[in-house]
Amino acid sequence: MSYIISFCLCAIYYWPMENDLLFQFEDVHLKVDDLNILQGLNFNISKGEFVAVIGASGAGKSSLLRMFNALTSPSSGKITFRGGEIDSDIQALRKNVGVLFQNPVVFEGTVRENLLIAGRWDQSISQTLDHEILTALDQVGLVGIKLTHHARDLSGGEQQRLALARTLLNHPQVLLLDEPTSNLDPKLAREIMDQIEELRGALNLTVIAVSHDHMLMRRYAKRVIILSHGKIIGDGDFKTLDKSHAFEDAGLLKNEVTDAT
Amino acid sequence: MRPDFYVLSWNDLLVSLLFIACSLFLIKKWKLGLENTLLIGTVRTFVQLTLMGYVLTWFFGQEHWAFMLALLFIMIVIASYEGTRRQKHAIPHFFPAMLVALLGSAILILGTILLFILDVEPWFSPYAAIPIGGMIIGNGLNSTALTANRFVGEMKHREREIETLLALGATPKLAVHDAMKASIHAALIPNINAMMTVGLVQLPGVMTGQILAGIDPIIAVRYQIMIMYMWFTTATLANMIMLAIVYRQYFTSKLQLRRELLREKA
Repeated sequence: MSYIISFCLCAIYYWPMENDLLFQFEDVHLKVDDLNILQGLNFNISKGEFVAVIGASGAGKSSLLRMFNALTSPSSGKITFRGGEIDSDIQALRKNVGVLFQNPVVFEGTVRENLLIAGRWDQSISQTLDHEILTALDQVGLVGIKLTHHARDLSGGEQQRLALARTLLNHPQVLLLDEPTSNLDPKLAREIMDQIEELRGALNLTVIAVSHDHMLMRRYAKRVIILSHGKIIGDGDFKTLDKSHAFEDAGLLKNEVTDAT
Repeated sequence: MRPDFYVLSWNDLLVSLLFIACSLFLIKKWKLGLENTLLIGTVRTFVQLTLMGYVLTWFFGQEHWAFMLALLFIMIVIASYEGTRRQKHAIPHFFPAMLVALLGSAILILGTILLFILDVEPWFSPYAAIPIGGMIIGNGLNSTALTANRFVGEMKHREREIETLLALGATPKLAVHDAMKASIHAALIPNINAMMTVGLVQLPGVMTGQILAGIDPIIAVRYQIMIMYMWFTTATLANMIMLAIVYRQYFTSKLQLRRELLREKA
């Protein structure tokens, strides 16, 4: 009887934690052509977090981000998503884990055709009603754009928002951002990040953002993972890591830190 | 009066060398630097076709299905090798892809023509199977070699588009659909254009050959119509089989684009 009680207690204690755990990286390595891109990464990401992955160029940030939606697989090590192997159902994973690339891809065609491109293989998307599309556009701050407008005529910022709206129509739980604002001016970059932060709260999203701009990221992310030469040299909140040398060791300028917030 | 036959003797053929002599003279005068290539081409045309003439004469005397199938298979292997050689990009497993594409389209189209259109008796008669098979294989080779080159070019150009679609949950087949469409279009449009202008602008080779050999133009035209339809279907079928094999080489079993292949130089 006591075994059963202790088992139940353990189950009650661990259940919410297991439930909140989204990604688990265990000794993840990535080797491409004899180059060690990522070396022995160990970390977890829980539901609802806003995690910034910071590092100088060539640190392995983008390669790491691609692992969250299995666009790249590790050479060794293990990644789990919601407790299961990350690549057990890749199409379902990719619907759940949306990505916004640095240079958004806008397809030839109208705004509507771009938003519903996943309707080519997903019936739930092809049947999306106009008011749902307009809601998605509204969520990303694209108001007053005609659905029949030619998508490639939109400005850089508008194209980025269109790509975000397209991802949101998949109803993802996780949003990956790959330097999403690096091609935009600072004011626009901040507007888009504000929008994403608002969405995170409204849609209960988990956001993982890769950036070399820790100034911008510290406004939004509660947690930062600092990558240097494929290794994690810092993982925690910005304030704690500011006290260490992690930012400098990663080749990021310390004096920028004082200007932040 | 209609002549029954125009016989071309070896001496007549020597006179036709005057054409090459003219071209050679002009090429030299314009300093185009193509003299050696042209000379090699001239000699190869002569040697290859003369040898083929003797081989065919011998073959046509054999009247055995195994001989006919063996010759067609050898032609397909050579065409597949030639198609592989013509690629600007190193496409993994391209030789077997060509082999399957050409074999598949040859079996289907040649089989249909021999058995149901021309009702050849016996079905393996080399007089029909070899020249028609040769046209099917040659056309299939030209078309697939172009399409494959174009397809890899499209994949390189659309790498980010393909990854965006994969990231939205597309299968590799759907992610490369636009690249496939563009490359098949590029391959088939010349065939469609040929169908549009045939007879108006030029008389095709087979028809010209048959008329020269004394065949009634009405019959020669019927052959030509069949050949035009056959050409188009061969190009469509061979391209589709080849692309269905080739696109898979660019993805892993985990639905990931093998980006390293798009960066590799030939």
